[in-house]
Amino acid sequence: MTTTALYLQQIINGLSLGAMYALLALGFTLVYGILELINFAHFSVFMVSSFIGMWALELLGLSGQGVILTGFALAGALIFAFAVTMLLAGLLGVAVERIALRPMRAVRGTAAMITTIGVSYILFNAILLTVGADSKNFPNPMPNVRWDVFGATLRLREVLIWSVAVVLMIGLQLFVNRTRLGKAMRATAQDAEAARMMGIDVDRVIITAFFLGSALAGAAALIFGLYYNYTSFIIGYSAGLRAFTAAVLGGIGSVTGAMVGGIIIGLIEALGGQVFAVRWTDVIIFSILVLVLVFAPTGLFGRPSATRS
Amino acid sequence: MTDPGVTEPEGAGPRSGMMGDTFAFLRHGSPVAWIAPHLRSRVGIAMVTIGALLFPVIIRNDADIDSAANALAFAALALGLNIVVGFAGLLDLGYAAFFAIGAYTYGAFASFQIEPAWSGFWQPFQWLGLVAHTGDVVHFTVSFWLMLPISAAVAAFFGVAFGAPTLRLKGDYLAIVTLGFGEIVPIVARNVPSVTNGAMGLNGVAAPQLFGWSFGIDATPYYYVGVGLVALLILTSTRLKSSRIGRAWMAIREDEIAAAAMGIDRVKFKLLAFAIGAAFAGATGTYFVAKLQTATPEMFMFPVSVMILVMIVFGGIGSIWGVVLGALILQILQSWFLEDLSQWLHALGRLIHVEWLRQVELSQSIEMIFGIILVTMMLYRRQGLIPATRPVQALTLAEQTALVEPAAAPSAERLRVFGDSSFSGPGPLLEIKDLTVRFGGLVALRSVALTVPAHSVVAVIGPNGSGKSTLFNAVTGLVTPDSGTVRFAGRPIERLPPHTVLDRGMARTFQNIRLFPNLTVLENVMVGMHTRLRTGAVGALMRLPGMLREEEEARARCREILGLFGNRLLPRVDHVVASLSYANRRRCEIARAIASGPKLLLLDEPTAGMNPAETIELAGQIKSLKDHGLAIVLIEHKLDVVVSLADNVVVLDHGEKIAEGTPDVVRRDEEVIRAYLGRSAAVA
Amino acid sequence: MPELLAFRAVDTYYGDLHVLKAVDYRIDAGEIVCLLGGNASGKSTTMKAIMGVVVPARGDILYEGRSLAGVSIAERVRRGIAPVLEARRLFPRMTVYENLEMGAYTRARGPEFDEDLQRVFSLFPRVEERLKQFAGTLSGGEQQMVAIGRALMARPKLLCMDEPSMGLSPVFVEQVFDIIQTINKQGTTIFMVEQNANMALSIANRAYVLQTGQVVLSGPAAELRENEMIREAYLGEMKVG
Repeated sequence: MTTTALYLQQIINGLSLGAMYALLALGFTLVYGILELINFAHFSVFMVSSFIGMWALELLGLSGQGVILTGFALAGALIFAFAVTMLLAGLLGVAVERIALRPMRAVRGTAAMITTIGVSYILFNAILLTVGADSKNFPNPMPNVRWDVFGATLRLREVLIWSVAVVLMIGLQLFVNRTRLGKAMRATAQDAEAARMMGIDVDRVIITAFFLGSALAGAAALIFGLYYNYTSFIIGYSAGLRAFTAAVLGGIGSVTGAMVGGIIIGLIEALGGQVFAVRWTDVIIFSILVLVLVFAPTGLFGRPSATRS
Repeated sequence: MTDPGVTEPEGAGPRSGMMGDTFAFLRHGSPVAWIAPHLRSRVGIAMVTIGALLFPVIIRNDADIDSAANALAFAALALGLNIVVGFAGLLDLGYAAFFAIGAYTYGAFASFQIEPAWSGFWQPFQWLGLVAHTGDVVHFTVSFWLMLPISAAVAAFFGVAFGAPTLRLKGDYLAIVTLGFGEIVPIVARNVPSVTNGAMGLNGVAAPQLFGWSFGIDATPYYYVGVGLVALLILTSTRLKSSRIGRAWMAIREDEIAAAAMGIDRVKFKLLAFAIGAAFAGATGTYFVAKLQTATPEMFMFPVSVMILVMIVFGGIGSIWGVVLGALILQILQSWFLEDLSQWLHALGRLIHVEWLRQVELSQSIEMIFGIILVTMMLYRRQGLIPATRPVQALTLAEQTALVEPAAAPSAERLRVFGDSSFSGPGPLLEIKDLTVRFGGLVALRSVALTVPAHSVVAVIGPNGSGKSTLFNAVTGLVTPDSGTVRFAGRPIERLPPHTVLDRGMARTFQNIRLFPNLTVLENVMVGMHTRLRTGAVGALMRLPGMLREEEEARARCREILGLFGNRLLPRVDHVVASLSYANRRRCEIARAIASGPKLLLLDEPTAGMNPAETIELAGQIKSLKDHGLAIVLIEHKLDVVVSLADNVVVLDHGEKIAEGTPDVVRRDEEVIRAYLGRSAAVA
Repeated sequence: MPELLAFRAVDTYYGDLHVLKAVDYRIDAGEIVCLLGGNASGKSTTMKAIMGVVVPARGDILYEGRSLAGVSIAERVRRGIAPVLEARRLFPRMTVYENLEMGAYTRARGPEFDEDLQRVFSLFPRVEERLKQFAGTLSGGEQQMVAIGRALMARPKLLCMDEPSMGLSPVFVEQVFDIIQTINKQGTTIFMVEQNANMALSIANRAYVLQTGQVVLSGPAAELRENEMIREAYLGEMKVG
C-alpha cells in the first residue's frame, strides 16, 4: 500500500475504534455528570455485555463465521442483538446502582469509587469463572463486502459501526435536549438541589443515567465483538482504559467531550500503532491520561473545579 | 434564662482516637480484664511476639512456614499503604508499583541474568565486594542487607516522583493518576528487557547471606526476616502516628484547608507520606524477590494493588494492627483455607452427586472473594475489623452535669501560653490597604482598608454577603487578592500560602467550624501547635529524649489552653470532636488557634449558634485574651459582644467599607443602619 | 381570608445546633408576608422547611389545613408551593426557556402551560427576548426575573421567595418588588424572606422578625415600619429571654 493508503486505512480503523470508545465514554460521563462518581464497574458491564451480545446472536442460530445474512435478515438480526444487549446491559447497570451505590450516596470522599472497584472485580471474576479465560469466537453474520477508497479498504462492518454509533449519539442528544426526563438529567447535573426543588425526582434521574449509560456500554460491547470477532473476560480493561482517557480528555461530565474524546483516542490508537510499537500503546494512553489530569484537568469541554481539591 | 451552670449532656460512649488501647475490643468479660488497662497492650504485644517467634518451631511444615512468610510480606505492604491511605488520606491505587521498584532494584543487583561487560569502571566495586568478575562479565553480588535500605530509598524517590503531580488533585483523580503510574511501571518492566529481562522475569536472584551462610531454599530464615521486617514497620508506623508527623497527616486527611490554616505544609507532608509508604513497599519488594528468587511483571500489576487495598479496608483503614490482621487473614484465606474448603466441597460434591461442586477450585476465585469482601465492607462496615477510632468510657453522670467552673484568673505566668503579645510596633500589627478580591465577575471586596494596632481588638461587622469571611480568607492566604497590600508585623504577606501566614503569627477560626472530625480534642489542639514544634520524621522514629520532652510540654501547654474554658473541654480531651456539642466545638477551634501562639487571632463569628449565656461566657474568655495583650480581629454580628470587646469597629457592605469608628458611634450611624435594614424605595 | 400556610411550634436542628425554636407563622391566602432578620437568624431554614428540604424535629407545618409531614418536595410543588431560591440558582447551561420548562416539571404540558408562559412573558418582557440564551450568561437582575418566572410556571398558590433583593442593583430591586406586588394582585400569596427590611415592609401586609431562631416581633407591616426594635433585632442587640 502507498503511505497515503496506509494512513487512510488507519484513519478508517481509528474511526471505528473511536466510535466504540465514544459510546463507552458517553455512558461513563453520563453518570459522572450527575453523581461525580468514577464508576469502575461501567467497564465490567461493558465486558459482560459483550458476552450477552454473543449469546443473543447465537440464540438466532448464528455462530462463528458460519452463517452469513444479508438485507433485511441481517438488519433484523442486528437490531435484535443490539436491542437485547442494550436492554440487559442497562438493567445490569441499574442493578449495580441499586445494590452497591445507592447506600453510598451520602458518604463523602472516595468510598463510592472504591466500592465500584469491588463490583467491577465481582463481575469480572463471575465471567472468568463461568466462561473461562479463553477468548470466544464472536458470531459474524456480515457478508464480506468491501469498497476501495484511494487504496484503503472500507468494509461493511465499519460502515455499520459508524452508523450505529451516529444513530445512538444523535438519539442521546435528542433525549437529553428534547425530552422532559433528559432535561431533568441535565438540570440535576448542573444543580441537584435546585432540581429537587423543581419537583424533579433525582433518584429516578440517577437510575435513568445508569440505565442509559450502561445501555451505551452494551452497544459499544456489541460493536467490539462485531469488529474484532472475539470477546473475552479481559476486554474491559483495555477498552475501559481508552474510554476513560477519552472521557477525561474530552472533559469529564461533558457529552460532547466524550464523543470528541472517543474519536481522538481511537485515531491515536490506530495511527499511533503505525509510529510506535503496539506494546507501548497502553503506556501512551496512560500518559495522556496522567498528563491531562495533571496539567489540564477540565479537558476540552469540561467544567472547571471538577477535579481540583 | 438558662442556668449557666449546667453543661449540655452529650451522647453516651464518645469515641477516642488516641493510639492507646488497641485491644479494647477484648475488654468485655474476658480474662483480659484481669490485667491492668495500661499493661494490656504491652502484654498483648508480648504474646503476639512470642507466638510469631515460636511459630516455625511449633509448625514444622515448610510449606506452611513459606505461606506465613509470604503473608508477612503482604502485611508489610498493608502497613505501607496504610500510611498513604489510612494516615494521610491519599488514595493510591498503584501502590504495587513501589513493590515492583523495590523488587527490581534488588533483582537487578543480585541476579545472575544481568551481565554487563567488564571494564575498569567496575574495579572499585569489586574491591568493595559488590561485584564479582568472572570471565568477561560482571555479576552483581550486592548484599541483601545492604539492598534493603537502598531499595527503600529508591522506592521513596519514586514515591516523591509519582506523588508530586497528584498534589493538587481531588481524591478520586489522585487515585486515577496513581493507578496510571501503577500500570506504567509493570509495562515498562515488561518492555525493557535489558534491565528487567522483560516478561520472562528476572531469575536466579541470589539468596541472602548471613555471615557467609546462604539462606538456601528452606523457608524458615526468610520467615524470621519477614517477622523482623513487619515488626520494624509496625514500630515505625506506631511512632509516626503518635508524633507530630502523624498528626499532620491526619489533619490533612480530615480537612486539608484547615490543616493548611494551622500551619501544615501540605506539599511536604503529602510527599513525605508517599515517600515513606513507598519505602515500605520497596523494602518488602526486596524481601519478596529474595525469597522467591525471581521477579516477573505479573507480580506487580493492578490486581496486587487492589488486593492490598482490600486488606486494609478489611482490617481497618488507619489502624496499624488492623491492617496487619487484615493482610494475614486474607493471605491465610488464600493459601490455606480455600484449598481445604475446596477439598471439602469436592467431597460434598461426591457425596450428593453434584458435578459442579466436585470441580470447584476456590483458590481461583480469590479475586471474586476479594471483590465481595471489598463491597461488603464498604457497604456495611467501612471502619474495618479493628476501627482506627476506639471507644472510651462515657463521661459519668457527675461529669456530664458538672457545674461549669470558670477558669481561675490566669496568672501572668500561665498567660504566656495564650499567644504572643510581644509585638509593639512601630506601626500597626496588621495593615490592609486597598484590598480588592474578585471572583469571576463578582467583586467580593473593593479597596478595603483596615488597620489593627498592636494589643487591640477590631470588630468587622456587616450584613450577609458583605465580604467579611472573604476578608479573612484574603488576609490569611486562602484566597489571593487581585490588588492591594497586607502588611503583618511590618512584612508583606499578600501572596504567602496559608501555612506560612500561620507561621508568621496569624491564626484564625472558620465561620462554619473546621475541626478535624475524627481526631480528639487534644489532638486537634496539638495540631495547632504544629509550627511551634520541631520534631521531624527522624526524631519521631528514634523517639529521642528531646522529642519526648517536646511532646510532653506540648500536651501540658494544650491542657492549659483548654483550661481557658474552665471544665467544659478538659474532661473531654480524649473525645473525638465529632461527638462534641456545637458550642464546645467552637471553643475547641478557638483553643486550636491559640495553641499556635499567634500574635493576631482572627475569629470568624465565634459566638454563632450559642445561646445568650454561652455568648456572655465566651465574650468573657475572649476578653481575658485581650487583657493579656493578644490582638484580635473579630467578625461578629451580636452587637453587645462587639461593644464589650472592640476598640474599633469596621463595617462592610457589599464588599466596601462604609463606616468605621468606636462601637457606640457605629451603631448609630445612618449608613450602617441602612446597610443592615436595606434601602427604602428610591426617591424618584 | 383562609389560612394558607402555618407553622405550629416548629423546631429544627442542624446536627445538635438548635436553629428554629418553637416558631409560629401564619400566612393567609392573598397576603404578602415577609420574614425579616439578621444573619444566621433562621430565615433560610424556614424556607427549606416549607419546601421539605429540612424536616422539623418537633411541631407541624400546615398547608391548606393539611400537615405537610411526610409530603415529598415534588408533591408540595404539585400542591402549589413554588420556590424562588436564594441567589437564583438557575441551571446555568440550560436556556432560559428550558429553565422555565423545569419550573413546570410537575405539570402536564398543554394549554395551561402556554397560558403561564404568556403570563411570564407579559410580566418580564426581557425574559421573552432572551429565551434561547444560556441562563448562566444573564445579568443578576435578569436571572432574578427568570427565577421568578420559573417559579410562576408551577402555577403556585404560594410563592416562597428567598432573599429576592440579594446581589441586585437598587434599580432592579425596585423592579422586582413592583413585580412581586403585581403577582400578588393577580392572586398569588407571597411568603418572602428578606434582609432588606425597608423594601420588604413597603410592600408587605404583615411581617415576622426572627432572631437566632425565635420570632421576636410580628404584626402588620405598617406598625413594624415605625418600630425601633427592628433595628435592634437586626444589629443583634435584643436580649432574647
